[in-house]
Amino acid sequence: MIPKNLAVTTGILVALTLGMSLYLWQLRRHQTSGPTSSVLGSAHVAPPTTGRQEKVTLFVADDSRGELQPRVVSIALSPDRQMRALELLQRLVEICQEKGSTHAISSTAEIKAVYLIDSGAAVIDVNSGFVDGQTSGILAEDLTIASLAKSLSVNVPNVARVKILVDGKERDTLAGHSDISGFYDAAALSELSRDLSPK
Amino acid sequence: MRWNSAANFIISTGKSFSWIPVLVCVLLSEQTSPPSGQPAPAPSAGPNSPPTQSVTPAQNPAPKLPLVLIDAAHGGSEPGAILASNVPEKDVTLAYSRRLRQELLARGFQAQVIRDGDFALSTDQRVSIANSVKPALYICVHAASTGVGIHVYSPVLPLAGENNGAFLNWATAQSSSLSRSRMLQQQITSAIQKMGFPVKALAAPLRPLNSIVVPAIALEIAPANGTAEQLASVDYQNMTAAAVANAISTVRQRLETAP
Repeated sequence: MIPKNLAVTTGILVALTLGMSLYLWQLRRHQTSGPTSSVLGSAHVAPPTTGRQEKVTLFVADDSRGELQPRVVSIALSPDRQMRALELLQRLVEICQEKGSTHAISSTAEIKAVYLIDSGAAVIDVNSGFVDGQTSGILAEDLTIASLAKSLSVNVPNVARVKILVDGKERDTLAGHSDISGFYDAAALSELSRDLSPK
Repeated sequence: MRWNSAANFIISTGKSFSWIPVLVCVLLSEQTSPPSGQPAPAPSAGPNSPPTQSVTPAQNPAPKLPLVLIDAAHGGSEPGAILASNVPEKDVTLAYSRRLRQELLARGFQAQVIRDGDFALSTDQRVSIANSVKPALYICVHAASTGVGIHVYSPVLPLAGENNGAFLNWATAQSSSLSRSRMLQQQITSAIQKMGFPVKALAAPLRPLNSIVVPAIALEIAPANGTAEQLASVDYQNMTAAAVANAISTVRQRLETAP
């Protein structure tokens, strides 16, 4: 004969086990019905179109001439400074990814985020596709950096210092030459392609 | 004070001491370099060594001109950019650096190549050698298929911490020589331009330059005709090396009066 208290305890434990199993099953069903992380990671993030259309000047690198070419484009920009910075640079990358671009960037290159920190610092986070497809060489790398820095500092007020991260991590060089390990003065970076030759 | 400087040097040169044999080689080769007025030695033999070129010796021995330290970028397991089919940047920089050394020696300069062979040197090792030898001018040599002709770079320093007395910030040690680096860059660019050679003066955040305490510039040799194969051409390397050496000759007085 099984004692009554043992039977009650066993019943409670069985009920709890069934309840937990049901809860776990529901959690798994909820997780699998949502978008997977791999799908989110590979999806191309289109620039938002909800903001006000604005004409801005982006500075597109020209490898053959070794300088930046200003290009006026009309894009929808968010009123939020940080979002605005991201949208500007995303548009700049799209221009470089177009066929016949003067400064080719990999089709997998993306600006993941732009963080605007106090005291005028901007941190640009690019993905690994951005650096993997970067042409190696001082001029080619400098033009990329100058293009990002100048497009940002001209169109977003109070950006004085710029740093570039790759997938959220510090990296020594962009593609073996230009140092991106520290913060640089945005104006100095913008003048990388300045022709210093005496006239 | 001396111990402080020594400690600073040792700490700032990084964790590895493998640069010491390279430094010894550079110093020994400097002592054994031929006096001006005698033919310069042929470049070291090796798979990447360029053919020997004739050097016209000066008729009258002249006093030694300042030391120019040439740093062939990349090397060993680090090939740099692949410029054309089977032409890694490290081979072009080494061959070009040897030619530039020849051209400078022929003009009476003292000239040494930091990486005179196919081996890897870290950025910190290169900086340690340059800061120990203290040349009148440090030149970092690169090559690229982007652009046209010769690109002459001056450093762009990062926004880093301040120097602390005798202890220099490793990332911005170039700050005390930056104005001289820019001045020499401008004059060398101007001299090359007068020779009718395509040249561009630029500024770049390059780590070896930023940590060097003497005037420092970088050269990036790009093809003049748009084809990367030209970079491996002996004639093109000779032509660009002669143009740069001639330009450096025009600033010899500035180098001699280095503080």
